[in-house]
Amino acid sequence: MITFEAVTKRYPDGTVAVDDLSLVVPDGQIVVLVGPSGCGKTTSLRMINRLIDPSEGKILLDGTDIRTRPPAQLRRGIGYVIQQTGLFPHRTIEDNIATVPVLNGVGRGQARARARELISQVGLDENLARRYPHQLSGGQQQRVGVARALAADPPVLLMDEPFSAVDPVVRASLQDQLLSLQAELHKTIVMVTHDIEEAIKLGDTVALFHPHGTLAQVAPPQQLLAAPADDYVAGFVGFDRGIRRLSFVPTGGLQLSPAPAVPADTTVTQARAAGHPWIVVTDAASGAPRGWIETARLEAVSGETLLGQAGTEPLGRSFVAGTDSLRAALDAAVLSPAGQAVAVDEAGRVVGTASFDQLRAAIQAETAAEQAAAELRQAEPSP
Amino acid sequence: MTWSWIPQNGALIWQLTRENLYLGVVPALIGLVISLPVGILAARWRWFYPPMLALFNILYAIPSLALFIALIPAFGLTDTTVIIALTIFSLCVILPNVVAGLRQVPASVKQAATAMGYGPVRRLATVELPLAVPVIFAGLRIAVVAGISLASIGQLIGVSSLGYLFIDGLQRSFPTEIWVGVVLIVVLALACDLILVAIRRVLTPWTAARS
Repeated sequence: MITFEAVTKRYPDGTVAVDDLSLVVPDGQIVVLVGPSGCGKTTSLRMINRLIDPSEGKILLDGTDIRTRPPAQLRRGIGYVIQQTGLFPHRTIEDNIATVPVLNGVGRGQARARARELISQVGLDENLARRYPHQLSGGQQQRVGVARALAADPPVLLMDEPFSAVDPVVRASLQDQLLSLQAELHKTIVMVTHDIEEAIKLGDTVALFHPHGTLAQVAPPQQLLAAPADDYVAGFVGFDRGIRRLSFVPTGGLQLSPAPAVPADTTVTQARAAGHPWIVVTDAASGAPRGWIETARLEAVSGETLLGQAGTEPLGRSFVAGTDSLRAALDAAVLSPAGQAVAVDEAGRVVGTASFDQLRAAIQAETAAEQAAAELRQAEPSP
Repeated sequence: MTWSWIPQNGALIWQLTRENLYLGVVPALIGLVISLPVGILAARWRWFYPPMLALFNILYAIPSLALFIALIPAFGLTDTTVIIALTIFSLCVILPNVVAGLRQVPASVKQAATAMGYGPVRRLATVELPLAVPVIFAGLRIAVVAGISLASIGQLIGVSSLGYLFIDGLQRSFPTEIWVGVVLIVVLALACDLILVAIRRVLTPWTAARS
């Protein structure tokens, strides 16, 4: 656990980078510090491994003031990942990863063996072990940076805009990789980003900074989206926070209607007889949705034609009932030409549809529950 | 060209070549040994570098022959005079490269090293200096090549080198001797340069690796 107790960082020229910051980072959680540039988020991060020392206040690591420990020893127990990767250009990938274990006195052979394990664990090919950093892509280098930070198995990981310098596709895959690593390793992670989307995706808790080193709100992401503390937070979170919040709401409570699903090997005559205004055409073998067809349009098609040949409109997307979020379901409804979201089960078979009315009911039920929870939080303020 | 002159004077040519090599290479090596600590301090304390560089630039501007003559009262007509003068010249090219080499180590790399628990000395020895090697070697190569060529001027104050062949050849109006001297100096300089490039390749395997 990392605890900031009334920490202030003031520079000799009078600039206050961090102003009276108190914050708790619980064990095994990802806390994301987010805010505009110059808000003190990076300064706060670097005070944890003493790259910067606070002017006032103190920082505790598992209850011990970090100033009581020699900096080098403290740092070897804290993994550090930065945007520019900071990989050593003159060392191979495996030796980069082995850095901290070797500093700690682990034999080079053993440290390299561990490095190779980590190379696969972060999703890289072991053949890269003997390459040099400049021979890797930006995304690969960043994975090596994460592996290096994990090499000595430190309980704490500090990440300073780790995924900001890579393209969006690579960034998303690095973020997913981090979440899956974290599910396994349960590190205490403090991450800095200026990207609120990233904060919301990765954070168990998001600490949003004002421009001048004070905290605007510290909350789990869904709460930040549902109940921003003030206009600044609401503005920073973005205009579509109402919809984004739905990412955190499961579809378990969503009422589904029986789907007007008809297999592709049905004849048009039979399909018309079913009497639905829109039909979801499904794959005859797998039951997976293939597209929508409007029954009215079938009038112009010969009755003997199979539905699969009748020309469907694209499905847009479907959502996995119970697993995907309400946001995915809403997206599916918006994209659907019939205005209905197609729900599938884990195997991809159509299980039902959800109309906008049904989605609205689910959203309203969730909002009511969230409001009740918020009132509960206000009634008994957290310590 | 009188080709037969060359084998007849083989022993002399070989001796002059060795002397020229010694006078050219030793000052560069001494320059490197001095430049490393001074350069490390200069890279660390920014105020220290401009006056240092100004001093060496002024020394560099002094004609080498004048510098030899200035040193004669103290060290006489000896190897030492030539070596000291050429060491000063070598400092002028090696020191800026040591400083530049250390300064071009990316800040992110230094910060990452510190954050991983390197102390300042260990970081310098195992991260910063290795990464500065290519730039330092660029300076060392210039110093060695220039040193081998400048060493011949030592002949003017009587310190033996391939410069002897120029002066003797001129006095005797014997071009063969002058040509042999010129070619040997160029060959010597090129050979030393190639050796330095080879050493640098061994020291910096990462620069050879292709993507």
